[in-house]
Amino acid sequence: MSFRIPIGPYHPALEEPYKLELVCDGETVRDATMNVGFNFRGIEYLAERRNYLQGITLVERVCGICSNVHSLSFCQAVEQLTGAEPPERALYIRVILAELERLHSHFLWSGIAAKLIGFKTIFMACFTLREKVMDALSAISGNRVNYGMNRIGGVNRDITDPKAVLAILDEMERGISSTIIPIFLEDKTVASRCKGVGILTQEQAKAMGAVGPLARASGVPQDIRKAAPYAAYDRFDFKVPVETTCDVRARLVVHALEMIESCSILRQALSTLPEGPFHTTPPTAARFKVPAGTAVSRVEAPRGEVFYQITSNGTDIPERVRVRTPTFMNMATVRFTVLGQELADSPLIQASCDPCYSCTDR
Amino acid sequence: MNAMALIRLFLFPGLLFAIPAGWFFVWGEHKAVARMQRRIGPPLLQPFYDFVKLLGKRTPSRHGIEADLLRLYPVLSVLSLIAALALLPVFPTGGFSGDGILFVALLEMPSICFILAGFTSGSIYGQIGSIREAVLSVASNLVFLLAIVTIAVTESTFRMTDFAGPSLNPGHWIGVLGILLCIPAKLRLNPFSTSNAEQEIYSGPLTEYAGAALGMWELAHGLEWVALTGFVATLILPVGGPWWLHAVLFVAVSFLQVLLLSGISAATARFTLQRSIQFYWRWAVVLAVLAMSSAIYMRFRL
Repeated sequence: MSFRIPIGPYHPALEEPYKLELVCDGETVRDATMNVGFNFRGIEYLAERRNYLQGITLVERVCGICSNVHSLSFCQAVEQLTGAEPPERALYIRVILAELERLHSHFLWSGIAAKLIGFKTIFMACFTLREKVMDALSAISGNRVNYGMNRIGGVNRDITDPKAVLAILDEMERGISSTIIPIFLEDKTVASRCKGVGILTQEQAKAMGAVGPLARASGVPQDIRKAAPYAAYDRFDFKVPVETTCDVRARLVVHALEMIESCSILRQALSTLPEGPFHTTPPTAARFKVPAGTAVSRVEAPRGEVFYQITSNGTDIPERVRVRTPTFMNMATVRFTVLGQELADSPLIQASCDPCYSCTDR
Repeated sequence: MNAMALIRLFLFPGLLFAIPAGWFFVWGEHKAVARMQRRIGPPLLQPFYDFVKLLGKRTPSRHGIEADLLRLYPVLSVLSLIAALALLPVFPTGGFSGDGILFVALLEMPSICFILAGFTSGSIYGQIGSIREAVLSVASNLVFLLAIVTIAVTESTFRMTDFAGPSLNPGHWIGVLGILLCIPAKLRLNPFSTSNAEQEIYSGPLTEYAGAALGMWELAHGLEWVALTGFVATLILPVGGPWWLHAVLFVAVSFLQVLLLSGISAATARFTLQRSIQFYWRWAVVLAVLAMSSAIYMRFRL
């Protein structure tokens, strides 16, 4: 018996509006198509009609989860054009924000993955831990979602009490090692749903240009923080978790291990935060003109590489702002990972590439 | 029909007891899961409020035989469960020869109605949910029936009054374990909640339901809790003693099962259909061997 099953654009399995249409023989998926573009907002178009300072605020709205990554990429590209050099303390604060954001995103993804296999208790545990990250982000930036921290030449706010953030970090680490790691790595019902499911081979991952934890779970050791360090990442000692089993479980393991590495980076950054200013002289919109030229910036977002290209024509308004988000690269893999799998596994498989369609539909 | 039968049907453990008990058990399930997830959980009367609210909802109108059938299925489920509850030997008197078979048949009605509701609704999600429920039902019922046959063979009867109470025969306890194993599948709880897996197929067969008809399904779910946990309670509670103590123990043991099953539900992920079938068929083999060897042993002993 053959079915055509629409999942989305509005569906309990999806965080955001997109549509996965599955053709199933009984419970087995035989074909799949994916459609995006239900929430296009024209952010690139708007960015080319606003000045650079307005652009920072605008690109931070590309994504509600990794908002900091977008403003960071934007600022780094503009800093290349202007030659502005952020102070050392600002670079550390940028790393701290980026890693807290990674934890926030990974907790969210872990929760969603648990919910998709019907494990709502772990969903609740992940979201409880995520609240602690939000508390830390709120304590640093004053905001829970769009932090408004990055500026051209530094950051907007200093971290005045690193010890308070370290205390929150201790709690998070305890939660990760007592709840997330044992459940995702050892629980039998979780393993039965994830082991050998949604295989994306290393060759497929490379051919489709997969990025981030999805690529690393398929044995591609790729991380911009190591390959082309930005901010202060070259000052810290951390590992890039890579798994070779290429299934959903490998993605769970990579996410869980990355959380531990993020905690390690945060601990190093917070305990060695250098003294000094946290930004250079603040530019104002009226006199802030960027020299003509093109700059690119790459940042390792929680879901993979974010790429920004900014072209300036010498005015205070960019001529071209081009954004490439990780989901744009990863979503093509879904069609291949769901083929031949059980219908029950398809929501989890599509979620295992950690999709963010608000980024893609920017 | 004698007075005792009427009391069992309308008072205890039938209509008057079972409906509030069903709401109470559903509340217990939700509260236990919430506490395990460090949430506050719903107030005691929430299932009752939900039922009343659903009764008062205006729903999109359907016409024709399909609409009548969709209204009929939940009502049929509720009525068959109340009839099943009336057969429960809470006070081990009355009953008739073979009432155990009727009890099993009545317990199966909600599942059949659930499957039919999905197919009748015309929804793709309902149809997939119905297929899943049908397949899981076949797998779990194999264990359920073998468990009851094992008990029946050890007691040499299908009369429920004779089942009641604990037994020294290990076959009785293996049967009770088998029934307990099947309850999560019959109640569509984790890890066997495949037929109403909201992340995959919304509410499965109930996707197209709303208002009073959905309220009746919710009520049927509560009654399923009472009937299934009550059945296990009658199998393990000692017979005799004052009637009020027996009634209190019946509720307490049933509620303990609610807490136990809710705990398992909260601590597990959902199995896929294939894995659920594998789980039950493994147990079916074990129980089939035990039931058969128990039957042969009893035959030689007699």
